Amino acid sequence: MFLEVSGIAKSFDGRPVLQDINFQLQHHKTLSVLGKSGCGKSTLLKIIAGLEQKDKGSILLNEKEISALPANERTIVYLFQEALLFPHLSIAGNLAFGLKVRKCSKAEISEKVDAILTQLELQSHANKMPHQLSGGQKQRVAFGRALILNPPLILLDEPFSSLDVETRTSMQELYKRIADEYKITALFVTHDLKEALIMGDEISYMEKGILKLYDSQEAFINDARTGVKQEIDFWNRL
Amino acid sequence: MKNRNHHILKIVLAILCIVPPCILLLMSFFEVWPFPQLLPDRFNAKAWGYIFQPENRVSTSIFTSLIIALSVACISALLGFFTSMVVAYHKYKKGLLLLTYLPFVLSPVIFAVCLKYYFIKMGLIGTLYGVILAQLIIAYPYATIVFTGFWNNRMLDFQKLALTLGATPGYIFSKLLVPMALPMMLVVFFQCFLISWFEYGLTLIIGFGKVETLTLKVFQYLGEANIFYAALSSSLLILPPIILLWINKKFIYNKTI
Repeated sequence: MFLEVSGIAKSFDGRPVLQDINFQLQHHKTLSVLGKSGCGKSTLLKIIAGLEQKDKGSILLNEKEISALPANERTIVYLFQEALLFPHLSIAGNLAFGLKVRKCSKAEISEKVDAILTQLELQSHANKMPHQLSGGQKQRVAFGRALILNPPLILLDEPFSSLDVETRTSMQELYKRIADEYKITALFVTHDLKEALIMGDEISYMEKGILKLYDSQEAFINDARTGVKQEIDFWNRL
Repeated sequence: MKNRNHHILKIVLAILCIVPPCILLLMSFFEVWPFPQLLPDRFNAKAWGYIFQPENRVSTSIFTSLIIALSVACISALLGFFTSMVVAYHKYKKGLLLLTYLPFVLSPVIFAVCLKYYFIKMGLIGTLYGVILAQLIIAYPYATIVFTGFWNNRMLDFQKLALTLGATPGYIFSKLLVPMALPMMLVVFFQCFLISWFEYGLTLIIGFGKVETLTLKVFQYLGEANIFYAALSSSLLILPPIILLWINKKFIYNKTI
């Protein structure tokens, strides 16, 4: 297995936020984590990224224990709810940030930035500043900034939640296309039922710090806690 | 109609800002204002020649003011940036922030009187260093308070994101935090410069009459009831703030908007 998370637990001020989290994820797969706000989804991602310390448990990435590594050495990219483009850098500068950190040559940076700009259909925006872009374009840049590094694992923390319905749909389609093309391994956290079903090759549900993985979409749909049945009933009643 | 009112308001504000310095400048070119004449008399540049004579020490006071204001602004902006970072992420943030407001509880003159004893003990009374230190006691907490707003949750998220992109804390500081804080740093620098430039009470008491800034000179001429010299030194006094405003408008404001 590419990612193996075992027995992760975390409490804040004595209040358990994550309880005995166990799951595995294969290479080039996306695991959707559905859950209500405050159920511990973001904390789980932050622990895997190294931005938060766990109380116990282990995280194996490619059969290597990474818990002791600082966040900047884990090569796992975390995408926040907000695009968080660096305001003093142009779009090209934002995309090149991670490559500059890795001290890549100018030629390599230029080549990779051009390629990702074309891939994300942002060629005409290369020299613009972040405040000149729309919400969807900003998220595309944020996604490209992670993608350009070709990280072994991407953690997406409700990245499309602040977008309008149309932009959100186009971003979901873009993610699916890119994920296939770049063979991305990712954890996709969302509180949107439909998004969880669309984005994940595998699907899980988190409630009160406990994560449940489903063998199939049918099992997920049939579990009353996920709310899928309620949603179907609602549309049928209309 | 709304646009017209807005336009009129802008003109009125511009007049209010431009007319007083112009009157001051004009006044500095007159020599006497005998009663009951409506306007001052003897238009010439005599005052300008007189005030720049070495024995009047106006040029020295301009130089002293510049040294003090630049030192206070640089030190406050730099120290305030680092201090605010520590304060913002400290577990006793509220208590530490409360401490930064302490110098503003008292008026600068009373504050200076309270400090005078310690400055005498340290041999700093009547020295340039003493005045810079005294003004820093006001400007440094001010800079810290202003910068505290910079270290918000969003800034914390920027740092976390950069970490996951592989950046070390040193790289994040130099390539992200400092460039992002630069516009605010310049604003703090300008404001601290102005605080120091116009500071009177602290400078008078800690400077002990031996450190003569341009602001002290203006008050001295006002005390002598010499309105023409006072107008002249006032014109000199408002020149740096006008230059700073122009720099701010031309190079900083337009870039950050």
